[in-house]
Amino acid sequence: MISREIYEEAIFRAICRGSAVIAPDVCRAFEKAIEKEGRPAAREGLEKTYESIKLSAERRNPACPDTGWPIFYFKVGNECELEGGFMALEEAVRNAVRRATREGFLRATMKHPLTGYDPGDNIGNNIPDFTYQFVPGKDIEITYVAKGGGSECFGGTRHRVVAFADGIRGIEKFVIDSFVEATRSGGICPPNILGIGIGGTANIAANLAKEAACLRTVGSHNPDELFRRIEEDLYTSLNKLGVGVMGVGGDTSVFAVNVEYAYTHIAGICVAISSNCMVARRGSVHVGADGSVRDMESPNWFEGR
Amino acid sequence: MATFHLKSPLSQQDVEQLNIGDVVYISGDAFTCRSRLHRWVLDENHPLPEAGRARDVLIHVGPIVLHQPDGSWKLVSFMPTSSIRFEKWGARAVDEWGLRLIVGKTTMGEETMAMMQKKKCVHVSPHSVSPNAWVDHIRITGVELLKELGSIEATWHMTVDELGPFVVDIDCRGNNLYKNHEEEVDENRRKVLEELGIGPDFSYTKLY
Repeated sequence: MISREIYEEAIFRAICRGSAVIAPDVCRAFEKAIEKEGRPAAREGLEKTYESIKLSAERRNPACPDTGWPIFYFKVGNECELEGGFMALEEAVRNAVRRATREGFLRATMKHPLTGYDPGDNIGNNIPDFTYQFVPGKDIEITYVAKGGGSECFGGTRHRVVAFADGIRGIEKFVIDSFVEATRSGGICPPNILGIGIGGTANIAANLAKEAACLRTVGSHNPDELFRRIEEDLYTSLNKLGVGVMGVGGDTSVFAVNVEYAYTHIAGICVAISSNCMVARRGSVHVGADGSVRDMESPNWFEGR
Repeated sequence: MATFHLKSPLSQQDVEQLNIGDVVYISGDAFTCRSRLHRWVLDENHPLPEAGRARDVLIHVGPIVLHQPDGSWKLVSFMPTSSIRFEKWGARAVDEWGLRLIVGKTTMGEETMAMMQKKKCVHVSPHSVSPNAWVDHIRITGVELLKELGSIEATWHMTVDELGPFVVDIDCRGNNLYKNHEEEVDENRRKVLEELGIGPDFSYTKLY
């Protein structure tokens, strides 16, 4: 049985790393973008951002003050035993979020949607958010995602139902039009990691899009050739738009396009997009049944799908 | 594209010399504001905090600030936030608060731009997300409305030293950097859609 103390500390660790330490795959995307950038203003913007990211890892301060919605993903072994059970796990997350907010790893961003009441600790109705996936084994993998407001609120996250008659062309047009609108004046902090969910109900597609944006590593591909081709076509097309870093014009507009899918109804294809900002923040930790705790560079969410 | 080092309080001349695409670094006193302060003052008719009356540089930002045991404030992280969401209040803020320069992300809309032209005020945006390039150039000297609005939306008093680089996206002659850039992106969009076999004649089957 994994003790409460061990998993609560592991969750806190995932939050702090997620806020301050940008994952190696995202760092490599910066290096690649800086190398190929032809416009001086865009190059400066990318370089300054990358320098700041490296300093955040050193100083252990948030890579961006908008630490956003606190979202948690659990990949749980079917025989995983947690002290206090899964309700205690969720309580441990709330404790860790409170502590990370108090210590300045998270900004107190969450507020009441109508009254504007700020609890000051990022805890409220349905927040933090929890998603579970069950796999064979006794261990648990926990990923914290800081989902920033820029990439969420300015049109980079939305959905549409496309008719089968419109097929892939309808899907690709929706993605490109949405991205252009959302990056006007840099609202969603490009270059983005763009997640796309195809199929399912609106919420299934939206969840897949969010997971594709926040849990897939840059450079990974959908193993299905059909979806991999859509990823490649859109990656090439979006990078020809000239949106550039923070929308000032440049050669890299997306770091990655990640597509995930679900089977859908004969009536139509729901397409959802979810954008992650260039300072893509996630922290993953593996907690073994023996109480061992290990940092993970990748959330390992889609592996073994 | 020129680089300017500005010192607040700013004169009309200071901001009139700026063109879209210019890079600015700012020194002097500034205050911060987000949605709640706009609403507090402009919808709910509370007085503008003292810093807002005394200072002409407004920063749209929700910083992370920690209260230190010795009573001082420590700025942990800083990144300007999207100004366009305050458009409903923008023109009145520029007019009634006597602003000369707004630091924010994205840009402002037509109504605010018209007021900025009339009152001589500019908007600047970062072309990076680099909190660590900024926190060392900002000193927090006070705060107002902390209890009423919470730590993100409170009015922080900031004394900044060579804070930047920021790009001028709205000048005081009615020009907008992003608006010009949009035309290039729209033209590129037409081309990439064409390459994917989605011509101008494509229309969605209307489902709703």
